[in-house]
Amino acid sequence: MDFQFDEGLADFRLMVREAIRADLPAELRERQSKFGGNQSDPQDMLAWTRIAAKRGWSVPHWPAEYGGLDWSPMQLFVFQDELAKAYAPDPCWGATHMCGPVVYTFGSPEQKARFLPAMRNGEYFWAQGFSEPGNGSDLATLRTSAVRKGDVYVVNGQKIWTSCAWMSEWGFFLVRTDPDVKPQRGISFMLIELNSPGITIRQIPQINGEAELCEVFLDNVEVPVDNLVGEEGMGWTYAKFLLDHERTSSSFIYLNKRELQRAKDFAASQTLEGLPLDQHPEFQVRLARLEAETTALEWSVLRTLANEQYQYNETASASVLKVAGSKLQQSITELQLDLLGALSVRLYPNEIHERPASPLWPDDVAGATQRALIMRASTIYGGTLQVQKNIIAKLAFDL
Amino acid sequence: MDFNYSDLQRMLLEGAERYLGDHFTLEHTRGLRASPSGLDEAAWATFAELGWLALGTGEDLGGLGGSLADVAALASALGGRYVAQPFVSTAVLGAHILGKVSSPRVDLLEAMIAGTALTALAHREPGERHPSIGGRKVMVTADGDGYLLSGQKMMVLDAPSATHLIVSASLPDSSLALVLVDASLVTSVDAYPLLDNSRAADIQFDSLRLDASSLLATGGEAERLLGEALDRAGVVRLAQAVGSMEAVLRICSAYLKERKQFGQPIGKFQSLQHIMADMFVVTHQSRSALYQALAHMDREPGERSRAISLAAITIHEAGQLVSRQGIQLHGGYGVTDEYEISHHYRHLLVLEKTGGDLDFHLRLVGRS
Repeated sequence: MDFQFDEGLADFRLMVREAIRADLPAELRERQSKFGGNQSDPQDMLAWTRIAAKRGWSVPHWPAEYGGLDWSPMQLFVFQDELAKAYAPDPCWGATHMCGPVVYTFGSPEQKARFLPAMRNGEYFWAQGFSEPGNGSDLATLRTSAVRKGDVYVVNGQKIWTSCAWMSEWGFFLVRTDPDVKPQRGISFMLIELNSPGITIRQIPQINGEAELCEVFLDNVEVPVDNLVGEEGMGWTYAKFLLDHERTSSSFIYLNKRELQRAKDFAASQTLEGLPLDQHPEFQVRLARLEAETTALEWSVLRTLANEQYQYNETASASVLKVAGSKLQQSITELQLDLLGALSVRLYPNEIHERPASPLWPDDVAGATQRALIMRASTIYGGTLQVQKNIIAKLAFDL
Repeated sequence: MDFNYSDLQRMLLEGAERYLGDHFTLEHTRGLRASPSGLDEAAWATFAELGWLALGTGEDLGGLGGSLADVAALASALGGRYVAQPFVSTAVLGAHILGKVSSPRVDLLEAMIAGTALTALAHREPGERHPSIGGRKVMVTADGDGYLLSGQKMMVLDAPSATHLIVSASLPDSSLALVLVDASLVTSVDAYPLLDNSRAADIQFDSLRLDASSLLATGGEAERLLGEALDRAGVVRLAQAVGSMEAVLRICSAYLKERKQFGQPIGKFQSLQHIMADMFVVTHQSRSALYQALAHMDREPGERSRAISLAAITIHEAGQLVSRQGIQLHGGYGVTDEYEISHHYRHLLVLEKTGGDLDFHLRLVGRS
């Protein structure tokens, strides 16, 4: 055993920190620090991807032959940690972390040539079309159908929770190409251009004032057969590959660390009976507890990244990170509201530039409240808390 | 002891639930965001017609002479539809102070009961996490035959729809005064919505000239009245929260029966049944806590406040659990604006954070 970081990692951290400082425009940083959503402003995600691409840093986790870097898992960890700390916008998650790896692993040479450079360079946005109104946790029974007719599939159905579909040019969809086999076997993975005739998109107003989640209605949409990724009927396998690909990302460790720091900042700036909250034992205790949880989560992530030989099924460890990470996202953002007290329940406009400034109000109230509201979704998306616990019971203990 | 509603209370409650259910639909409530002051004028007129605005005022002052338990029953019904109308500010805070001062403001009370006058209590000041009764930085000073009012108030709940403000202020000798201000005279008002579309405002008084009749109460009388009014409002807000939680139980249990995954209603899954059972336990405890608080409203101030804080701890914690889990049970739909559960969540959050918040009540009980 060796519990120390690899030699050279500290220098690497300084190197990426300096590069991010040089590259990240102040306005992107400012918007990200005030943003009240689950992810970043989508235009900012694209803009930041383009900037990072100039250094070749937009998809460092991809294999080098597709434009990635040969950074180690620990280097990637440090890189993402520094990005979050610097308030860089999120990556274009759908493209760079979900669809991209499926395309370079299972896609055709034509698909790789057509789509991977565009993903790498942040040319346009990709939306994820998996969930359906009747099938969230029970994804395998999805019903959107794709029927082959000559050179096209004719797609009919409805998707939901499709992040940013309203401003995405493409989506990656799970569709049913064979209704007559076991549900998981009849699913295919398909790339669909969202301006295709027959597609209607509706933005769903959310609890935090955003409307980035969408419903996508597909009515006799013709999709060229060339847009099928890999083999027909293998969509479920590819989707599982995709969800397993980033085993540690669902911990949101970088965001949890950053938001814990923001909670500490609130505790230093807000006062009670003439003293900052962080001088009061009851708030010290709450901050300490969350710091302990965050620290443990970080070391759980490190164990996965360092490829520990795990005595339980490895998917169970991914669920550990998801359970602990998603609960922390909620408890840290809720502590922020508790620290702000009554100030936390003011409703600000969702658009940052429309938020009125007042000397009476701390300027980061708006974002904190909106983030805490939408963080209720962290134990829902990507497999609900209850589904994660079922996975742990089954895979770790065969219950 | 008798914990059952009286016939009159039952009639009040059933009528309220029927009207509120018909009128405050989800779509209607969402539409109220466009209202300039947040006030639903048609509903407010109905509140007056139904006698709700007269309920807590004594018969000698033209009211119905209902008990605080009656008002709490009505407040539960309001909470059940996450109604964010300025009921507490006018019918509890304003009604109590204006009706209990040594010379009650009968004309204004009459207009409040008729629904044409609304009040807001301007008490919180900048930098105050938990406003205390005294120590106001807003100052009221004699000026000829009247007064001048100066200083800054913050997050005055329901101010945007108020015709009159009741302002807590310090006299030159540092004692407390309550003054009545015609809201149309106030020029520096920064109004905004809260998460549940109730409204609030930051208000600055810049040597505002008031006539002699503006002084409602001073010294010990002002402290007593303000303390009573805040405690009564606190209890009624807790009743709103309990009503909201009880509605969440109904909404969620229906959803668990209706929503199907893996070939069966999701309510068949034990993990969700246990969540629902946890919500049931704390909601039951919350109503018990509310009754405990109502039982202590006639005690001396320290005992009364402590009883309310004990109830608030139970109810605020329960409100968090119930509304958070209510969203969880709804999955993705829970975080949309298009399902009622997220509205209950935001309403409960506002009730908690503006009702002293949990850490305040924990400290109060811990120290007393």
